[in-house]
Amino acid sequence: MSGGDRKKRACDRGQGWEEAGAEFYQESYPAAIEADLQQALQRDPSHIATLLPSKKSRVATAKRIRNDTKTTLRRRTSTRSRGTTTSRRMSTNIHDAAVSMLPDLSENLSNEERTWEEIMQIKAMPVCMAQKIQLKNQLQSATKLRLQGFEQLKWQRRKAWQQFRIRMKEAYSKMELWNDSLKTIGGNFGMGIVAYFLFIKWLLYLNVLLFAIIFLFIVLPATLLDMPEDETCVNSNNSHSISCCSELYWNITQESGNIAGILEYTLLFYGAYSHMTYTSGIFFNLPLSYISATVGVFIFSLIVIVKSAAKSFKQRVVENEGQFYQYCNLVFGGWDYCIHNEKSAAIKHKALYNEVKAFLEAERLEEERQNRTREETTKLFLMRLFINLIVLTVLCGCGIFIYYIFEFSFNQISPQIDETNITDSHLSLNLSLNRIVHLFFEFLPYMCIVILNFAVPSLFRYLVSLENYSPSFVIRITLFRTVFLRLSSLIVVLTSFYRLIVTEVKDNECTNNTSKRPLCWETFVGQQFFKLYMTDLFFQFFMTFFINFPRSMIAKHTENKVLRFFGEQEFDLPKHVLDVVYLQTICWLGLFYAPLLPLIAIFGTFVLFYIKKFACLVNSTPSSKIYRASKSNAFFMLILLISFILFTVPVGYSIAEIEPSKSCGPFRGFKSVWSLLIVVFAEFPDWLQSILYFLGTAGFGIPAFVILTLLLYYYYAVSIANKHMVTVLKNQLVLEGHDKQFLLNRLSAFIKQQQDQNKYHQEQANELGTFS
Amino acid sequence: MGVGKSQFSEEELQAYQDLTYFTKKEVLHAHQKFKALAPEKVGHNRNAKLPMSKILQYPELRANPFGDRICKVFSSSQDGDCTFEDFLDMMSVFSDAAPKAVKAEHAFRIFDFDGDDMLGIGDLRQVVDRLTAPQRLNETDMQQVLQYILDEADLDDDGALSFAEFEHIIEKSSDFSKSFCIRL
Repeated sequence: MSGGDRKKRACDRGQGWEEAGAEFYQESYPAAIEADLQQALQRDPSHIATLLPSKKSRVATAKRIRNDTKTTLRRRTSTRSRGTTTSRRMSTNIHDAAVSMLPDLSENLSNEERTWEEIMQIKAMPVCMAQKIQLKNQLQSATKLRLQGFEQLKWQRRKAWQQFRIRMKEAYSKMELWNDSLKTIGGNFGMGIVAYFLFIKWLLYLNVLLFAIIFLFIVLPATLLDMPEDETCVNSNNSHSISCCSELYWNITQESGNIAGILEYTLLFYGAYSHMTYTSGIFFNLPLSYISATVGVFIFSLIVIVKSAAKSFKQRVVENEGQFYQYCNLVFGGWDYCIHNEKSAAIKHKALYNEVKAFLEAERLEEERQNRTREETTKLFLMRLFINLIVLTVLCGCGIFIYYIFEFSFNQISPQIDETNITDSHLSLNLSLNRIVHLFFEFLPYMCIVILNFAVPSLFRYLVSLENYSPSFVIRITLFRTVFLRLSSLIVVLTSFYRLIVTEVKDNECTNNTSKRPLCWETFVGQQFFKLYMTDLFFQFFMTFFINFPRSMIAKHTENKVLRFFGEQEFDLPKHVLDVVYLQTICWLGLFYAPLLPLIAIFGTFVLFYIKKFACLVNSTPSSKIYRASKSNAFFMLILLISFILFTVPVGYSIAEIEPSKSCGPFRGFKSVWSLLIVVFAEFPDWLQSILYFLGTAGFGIPAFVILTLLLYYYYAVSIANKHMVTVLKNQLVLEGHDKQFLLNRLSAFIKQQQDQNKYHQEQANELGTFS
Repeated sequence: MGVGKSQFSEEELQAYQDLTYFTKKEVLHAHQKFKALAPEKVGHNRNAKLPMSKILQYPELRANPFGDRICKVFSSSQDGDCTFEDFLDMMSVFSDAAPKAVKAEHAFRIFDFDGDDMLGIGDLRQVVDRLTAPQRLNETDMQQVLQYILDEADLDDDGALSFAEFEHIIEKSSDFSKSFCIRL
């Protein structure tokens, strides 16, 4: 503090309020603070509130930084932060800092480790670099205890670890994919959209990991280990034994010369994997490894998704607690500081303006809703019911349509296969034409699905505008319907497969010929998913570059309002999320039948990032809606989780129940894939078997269930109690606030009174002086 | 990078690394960015003081409605002119690695237009105005928004947000630390 302040304080000492006030503060805020208090009060007694410790921004931070015994620092920051005149702040605080940072000799000397810790904390302080450097020098040159022995070692290790982490961070940031792209996207569209692209990146990494697992446990052994040959068909007396069927299948795939045929007997699909156990040298059970890897992949995906979903869910809960913070969130966290493009900034301004308006509007709507008349309510209800019926009809219609298209195209393909087999000697021209037609029919159902996925959501979007919902609900319900459409189309695909596959296969047949079940249905299903994935990816590509790109070009270069209306497109986040999640779902679905599908998915996600980037940066204008990064992340994960759980069910069913085909794959000859596990289980040592068996009995199950329920209830009770505590504390806080307000008012009134009295006394004294 | 490297000694870089949320490489990268604002001046004196108008050329700050406030908060001479060290401080606070509390602290100072360590009605009004510019909310809407903000956050009913109250909001807003970020 400067000398002037001190003098002033000295002469003000006599004032009565000081005693009360000083006692109050003396303990934690030593003398220096009083000067400031005095100074501020001289100017404006009602401003006393600004001097409260809780109003001190820097105090709060500093206290958190160093919750150890250093009160000196606290004082330093608190005195400095109050600097009302900038010049004084500059002149005094460096000196101040220097003084206060000197180690307090009366307290225990700080050791090296603590000094180092403190140096690491400097960066969090809101002071300029020159001061930081000075602080650091101060700390370094101060006397400190040297650490001895083990402590020293521990500290060194901590330091080295820190260094290592910085190195790793640097290396990682160099390796990190798409950093520049993310920056550009963020600069133009804000963090909400960046979160979407991070989600794509996350999926890419997930696929890489899935692929790694599958590659290690299935593909690599299958290629490296030379599986023992099956016994030949000739030796066996039954012409429909496993080996004969395998040979039949092998011969057929070799003969049919179409593209799918060439791919059919590769490691890409289920059919090519051997069912033999490798025993020469090392023991390797490929079928067991196949099923374990698949199950492992699913469990791994589940854990990863749940983990990140839980993370964003936790955030959501904290936010929901602060549902009442929507305005504060908007005002203080609304601006994306990474925006670096003037045009986007203008749009962001507009979006924020709209958002504020929308909030106010929602508030009004809420009021209106409460005042709605009965007649209006009925009308609205009927309208909504009607539209929901339409939506339901459309969804069902789509399902039926897809189902029949499947049936139709499969019927078209089947005779053609026979034809190509018979007419080997036909003209090649005819054959290639045939092939194109064949290819067309093969891809027809998928094209229909994709086109429906594109067309129907637009219809839904139109319908929802008639329903008069609140804006946030509109987004949710459209999304819900669209998800339903996509998933239902997948479900229909699965059902049509199911009908084809699940038939009785007699002992004297390789497959059920009457129902046209393919010789190796697993490969067939794998191929279908493969095709679906590729079609969808291609369609994404096609839509983005050949439809939406010209549209956006038209919108940019025309003045015509109609053309503009059709050309302009916003980056509609929910739709794009669905695109990505849908592809990922197909990957999971097909995983068991086409083990290399994750590899395709890696490629797909990688390409998709660029497709979406193009769609975002070139085709779209920034959205007039505000997408919140945290909220959207929770939402991505939720959708992913739902579709994952929904579609592990059919995969699980097919593993547990459906009979694998006789002529191909690692599980030929088993009643179901699961029965392999039972066989393996039977080979376990007895004690392990009995333990596992016990785990399955009611004697274990019921107590476990009861304990889990109790635990669940316990946590539920705790959370309820916590919630109650939060409200109690909040109320207390408000009460304290009122108390404080009251006391402050009293205090400042008192000071004023004192000052007036002093003045009065002085005047009287003066008068007396003049009189005498 | 070669030119940039020669302007700093290893110790200085180490000091910067210790005192900011950056690694040495990022410090150099930041210096490149700083230099790009005024190549000649900075080439001459690596820690040259650039006037606020120059600093505001930095794309993220130019687009930011609070650009001038940010400069003022981080400027060591309090007038908006920034040296490289000020710039480094600024980028360090805006980096991904900076913790929420540090960001909140600076955000508070950025929003505190009149510098009284409280976000009063006037401050809030200015924040909202700057956010929605060039459109302006009409007076009743503005009053309502301000009222809602205070209803939400002003726990002690004194008609202004103190830092503690501000921090409380920030703590609950998961968007804040994501949006209060400038990638180098």
